[in-house]
Amino acid sequence: MSSDQRRPSRRRAPVSAGAPRIGVDRVACSGHGICAQTLADVVGLDEWGYPIVADRPVEAKDADLAVKLCPARALYLRP
Amino acid sequence: MTLIDDLRSAGLTGRGGAAFSTAVKVAAAYDNGAALIVNACDGELGAAKDAFVVAAHLGELVEGARLVTRGSGRIRYAAHRGSDTETRLIAAGLDVLDVPSRYVSSEETAVISLATKGLARPMTKRAPFVGGGRDSRGRRIPPTVVLNAETVWRIAQIAAYGPDWFRAQGTPAEPGPRLVTIGGAVPRPGVLETAAGMPLTTLLAAAGGMPSGAGYLWVGGLGGVLMPAADVPRLRWSSADLAAYGGSVGPGVIDVLDPRECPVEYVDRMLTYAAGESAGQCGPCMFGLPAIAADWHDLAAVRPGNRATVESRLTQRLALVPGRGACRFPDGVARFAASAHRQLSDHLAAHAEGHCPTSPTHAGPTHAGPTYPGPTYAGPTYSNSPVTPVAESTSRSSRVV
Ligand code: SF4
Ligand code: SF4
Repeated sequence: MSSDQRRPSRRRAPVSAGAPRIGVDRVACSGHGICAQTLADVVGLDEWGYPIVADRPVEAKDADLAVKLCPARALYLRP
Repeated sequence: MTLIDDLRSAGLTGRGGAAFSTAVKVAAAYDNGAALIVNACDGELGAAKDAFVVAAHLGELVEGARLVTRGSGRIRYAAHRGSDTETRLIAAGLDVLDVPSRYVSSEETAVISLATKGLARPMTKRAPFVGGGRDSRGRRIPPTVVLNAETVWRIAQIAAYGPDWFRAQGTPAEPGPRLVTIGGAVPRPGVLETAAGMPLTTLLAAAGGMPSGAGYLWVGGLGGVLMPAADVPRLRWSSADLAAYGGSVGPGVIDVLDPRECPVEYVDRMLTYAAGESAGQCGPCMFGLPAIAADWHDLAAVRPGNRATVESRLTQRLALVPGRGACRFPDGVARFAASAHRQLSDHLAAHAEGHCPTSPTHAGPTHAGPTYPGPTYAGPTYSNSPVTPVAESTSRSSRVV
């Protein structure tokens, strides 16, 4: 992996049953990269600063906060 | 038996390339009272089969559309601006959706966006638009279903002749008649009516056969794969056989590469074209595709040198793009580039040693290559295409059975 690219961490915190997954509306996303901080466990950034999202559930409250903090309103919850 | 039952037992899948169950789609269209868009754009490079359906089977096409909307609900026919297909549909008095001549404009959600007074650009599909939804700006999209023109024609045929007639052709996994467009370096390019399971040699023979010395076939257009012409005798036209190359029957396009032309340079032109066709909406696509095309352009130079860094960067980028756009365009282009990278590894290695196996005088690509804006670039690029997609001139079809 090149150094300007950050994969989501492999660390897996246990999550509650029925926890949502994160979806990115790629048209809306402007690559601010805030989600890579609010959801560091599941979101990394590519060499251009756009999110790489791991396909695993996150705690609902963390997900909700990330959705709220995305300046482009590009994040959404998937079941 | 209802139409849905018939479609289910026939096993009809979308003929536009995605091969999704048509019974499921039509059932959802019924449930939601969805409007129908018949996609007759021949969106894939080299495809001419939708043009053939409109030119030769318009009556059945219209009947198929009526069945999907059960006689009520708006039906529109999407065709590229200025195409013969568009002219024919207008002349028949049908409701035509005029689609700009860009590659992703004919993508399913782009056509829906255009039909609902948006731009002809793909939309993020948070859920299928057959149930209605919203675009990224919150604009409401009413329930709409898009079906490929060949698919709609097949619906009418299944309603008329029954699922058993349909299943009697093709393979159990890919039943029914299907159209294939064969182009490139063959004497008689055109649309063929065939079915899965047909020996590839037979199909190509119907187009006049491959030229001597043919090296590669390009199957499936910008979302497709490259495969060696030498393998043709042992292959059938089926997704099972094409899977060995990462391909599928997809939208039914076969292009025979001209053996007099360097395949690496050909792929270079196609990738540069693809990079310019990104709708410039999604970061991983608008940056990723030009970056991939630029890497290939570097590898394509006929000049001694160590390409290891570019090779590994290309491999990384190819793995990074799929699944990260609103539409599947970047996935398709990455599949094509990855397959070309695999198939042409020896040829690329020769270029890196300073010679081209196709021609001792070939000095590598002469065009400037893609505009790769790099990570600091702030907006979309809309360059014009350096290649002209094959004109949809073909209304001829021969039957290969
Ligand atoms: S915070 Fe929002 S806009 Fe920024 S990278 Fe993440 S999804 Fe995209
Ligand atoms: S993935 Fe590419 S082509 Fe598809 S909508 Fe996004 S930018 Fe456009």
